Amino acid sequence: MMKKLLGSLVVTAAIVFTFGALMAEAADVIRIGSIYPLTGAIASSGLRSKHAIETAVDVINNKYDMDIPFARTEGIPNLKGAKLEIIWGDSQASPEVGKTEAERLITGEKVPLIIGAYQSGVSKAASFVAERYKMPFVCAESSSAELTERGLKYFFRLAPTDAEDSIAFFTFLDEMKKKGKKVERVAIVYENTEFGVHAAGEAKKQAEKKGYKIVANIPYPFKSTDVKSEVLKIKAAKPDVILQASLLGDMMLFAKTFKELKVGFNANLSYCGGYHDPSFVLNLKKDAEYFMGQCTFSPDFITKKPVLGKINEMYKKRSGVDFDGVTIEAFTSVLVVADSLNRAKSTDSEALVQALRSTDLKTPTLPGDGVKFNEKGQNIKIISNISQIQNGQYRVVWPGEMAAAQMVWPFKSWEKR
Amino acid sequence: MDSSILLQILVSGLLMGLIFALIAVGLTLIWGVMDVLNFAHGEFLMLAMFISFWMFSLWQVDPLWSLPISVAALFATGVLTYHLIIKKVLNAPGLTALLATFGLSILIKNLAQFFWTPDFRHIQGAILSDKTLSFFNLHLSLAEVVAAGGSGLITYLIYFLIFKTKTGRAIRAAALDRDTALLMGINIDRIYALTFGLGGACVGVAGALLMNFYYVFPGVGSLFTILAFVTVALGGFGNITGAFLAGVLIGVVETAGGVFISPVFKYTVVFVMYLIIICIRPKGLFGW
Amino acid sequence: METSALSLLKKPSALIPLLILFLLPWAASNIHFHHVLIMFMLFATLSQAWNVIGGFAGQVSFGHASFFGIGAYAALVLLKKFGLTPWGGMLIGGGLAVVLAVLIGYPVFRLKGHYFAISTFAVAEIVERLFMNWDFVEGAIGLPAPVLKENLINFMWYKTKIPYFYIAFVFFVLVLLLAYRIERSRLGFYFRAIKQSPDAAEGLGIDTTRYKMVALIISAFLTALCGSFYAQYILYIDPPSVLSLDISIKIVLVTVLGGAGTVIGPILGAAILIPLSEYSRILLGGTGKGVDLIVFGALILIISVFQPQGVAGFLKKTGKQ
Repeated sequence: MMKKLLGSLVVTAAIVFTFGALMAEAADVIRIGSIYPLTGAIASSGLRSKHAIETAVDVINNKYDMDIPFARTEGIPNLKGAKLEIIWGDSQASPEVGKTEAERLITGEKVPLIIGAYQSGVSKAASFVAERYKMPFVCAESSSAELTERGLKYFFRLAPTDAEDSIAFFTFLDEMKKKGKKVERVAIVYENTEFGVHAAGEAKKQAEKKGYKIVANIPYPFKSTDVKSEVLKIKAAKPDVILQASLLGDMMLFAKTFKELKVGFNANLSYCGGYHDPSFVLNLKKDAEYFMGQCTFSPDFITKKPVLGKINEMYKKRSGVDFDGVTIEAFTSVLVVADSLNRAKSTDSEALVQALRSTDLKTPTLPGDGVKFNEKGQNIKIISNISQIQNGQYRVVWPGEMAAAQMVWPFKSWEKR
Repeated sequence: MDSSILLQILVSGLLMGLIFALIAVGLTLIWGVMDVLNFAHGEFLMLAMFISFWMFSLWQVDPLWSLPISVAALFATGVLTYHLIIKKVLNAPGLTALLATFGLSILIKNLAQFFWTPDFRHIQGAILSDKTLSFFNLHLSLAEVVAAGGSGLITYLIYFLIFKTKTGRAIRAAALDRDTALLMGINIDRIYALTFGLGGACVGVAGALLMNFYYVFPGVGSLFTILAFVTVALGGFGNITGAFLAGVLIGVVETAGGVFISPVFKYTVVFVMYLIIICIRPKGLFGW
Repeated sequence: METSALSLLKKPSALIPLLILFLLPWAASNIHFHHVLIMFMLFATLSQAWNVIGGFAGQVSFGHASFFGIGAYAALVLLKKFGLTPWGGMLIGGGLAVVLAVLIGYPVFRLKGHYFAISTFAVAEIVERLFMNWDFVEGAIGLPAPVLKENLINFMWYKTKIPYFYIAFVFFVLVLLLAYRIERSRLGFYFRAIKQSPDAAEGLGIDTTRYKMVALIISAFLTALCGSFYAQYILYIDPPSVLSLDISIKIVLVTVLGGAGTVIGPILGAAILIPLSEYSRILLGGTGKGVDLIVFGALILIISVFQPQGVAGFLKKTGKQ
């Protein structure tokens, strides 16, 4: 009896497996794969990127009267107006799941291209898969410079790398030094993950190159219960400037603990992370003021380019918040894909890769106003600005020619506000 | 090193430790009485924090005033969990209860994400928010001081309940020898439900107090769960004083370890300390 | 009492499902399907390895990820830095895992029940943290596999998962036979005695510490081998993916769900849990609402409440009728 039950259980399992095997048939729109962390530790950011991508698909697929590539047409013109459809894969913030999803999207869902994946670690693993299948991987926002140093032929990235951000930060600090400001003593604070360790490495390189003194090197465990020991170490080191690589949760703790333990410094500059998350300002309100960070989007850009206001409204309807650097990079990545589809006039991966390599897309959505890839797949038109939170808004404060507001220096300690 | 920083380390560690202690007291109660590992304890904490958050953000009720609501809600959650789930797995091999509470923790965490989105939430402008007490070079967040004080108070109350009341005696009897307690006429079912409810209530207090200075999102429970388990084991299962003191010790060691060794190893130092102590005293500092 | 392991293969109730499994990859060429099958076998094997110490001997470990991770890192690091074939790296990894097992086993086996369990995950957390900060293994940045020719010596294939499937199948069957043999041997008898009542076992003259150690060594070695396989399969590892508490918990979950202490438990647990988590993520994960995990959590809860003995227990019960 037991054996019979066992047998039938196994057969049932086999049927379930087989069902799984036969899933997914191709449809007749243009299907693009997208891998983002939709559940798990970074789900809030992953979901915002999802909304940004959906906004872009909406703009491309429907007719809108605005100066955004493919807005005024419906779908991809050279492909008879075929519309884009995103097939989602949830990376669950883990490289192996990202890899599995990449394989599933490529071999099962048969997408010709993948966009993603937010975290550098996941982008690394997923793009390896794409490369092996000779499929293009368009990475909107992962910042690790290493991604474009791997010699891959099918990888493309829009965002500035942490290497470029580091150069920008130290160029900025050099300027402040010339103005007589105290910036010699630098503290580097970073989460002990791929993102943080890599950014810190780039920061150290630039600091040493330009002769700054690293007075504190503080890696910490991602998602801490508290950051007292980290902040006490920073305080003891008496830095002039803090370079920070933290995601939202820890960033909030740091801001509050700096305040609580009365740590003074002239500036806190963040790599692309928690500082940029709209929830940072929403949650901390006045306590978020005067923090600075690398910037690829700010509401100031809308004043200069009103069309950004229009897409911001569309995005805001879906996500409840304004665009930030990461999400507008995701938005733009879909435009890049549409552009390459349009010029390739085909959904064949090889044709798409050729088209991507010769991309020269004019778009108001990114600083630098366009996307063009070098031989390593890095977008060379993107410019890193520095923004500062003033009155609850991200204001562009550097470089001088792009600045929309006066920088507040030094960082006003909380008692003085 | 600057002596003021040393003192700050000690005090900051103490404050954090008292908060770990409060979370651990609820856990050790359940564990000691029913021998159940409540994997969902961290999610109970998260629920308590969310209740405080919503009461403040929707109706401007300060976390201090909504504390009784968190406590009542989590007490009810504990009792409900006992009746619907724990009761059914008590007689099963020990691992099954673990499996059940683990499933429960995933369920609660993701229901929270479903309803409240994964966004991080934080309170500003509550009575205790962002006020710092400063003595010379020593800075203490008022919210943390209150949380620490609350922890001490609740621990004392639980201790009083367990050791100085008739109900407490019944709980202790059930913990010592369930079958004999049954023979003595103690309603084990009610005692167990009460215990689980109390465990929930402790975490209800902790959550309400934490909301004054921490942030909440559906996954916040996992941060504290592991440390809570180690705290309970270090103090000795079922020992309330033990959990309390272990929590304080862990808080101080974590902060000091972070400063003197490196923040990346701050939890590692705690685990190493745990292993060393447990080898010398196999039942925890005060286990019986 | 001593039965030959191979006698299991003579039973049709075992042979037929194994044959079906053996042929299953040819039922569909969908790569993701192959992936699910491989993950199923990997976790069935991992859980069976855990079963030796956790199920048979009753010592619940929440730290098995440390053995898994050691195996994974040994294989990839030795391949990348010294060009050593992963098969060699695997054996070295297994050896290192055994060393760790012995180092922690002796002090920690004196502990009972929950204290022991928490100690195992304290150890695992320490190991994970050490690897995160160890530059030689690339720490937090992660270790991608070097790009080499696809063959058996290099233990890597890119375009197809079939070789991986059959390697996993061999591991799966070997470990299954081993577990079957242990269960029916004197060793298994000692394990069960230790689990039931350690004091009574001591009284009978069984050196409980020695036998617990034997169980842990076997378990650690096999777990490390699985880790090496995993590294060569995923081709990219970092401490969170091979050393984290999540993996330790998943292994325990699979075994307990299926029925700890039974030979078929790990297989049933993996057969239910792995496809469930994979397909729920695919079908429901894309919405980002976490619905797949809600279903997952609810199902675990329901099964544990209504079938406390695990699925194996349920089958045994109905089998007796």
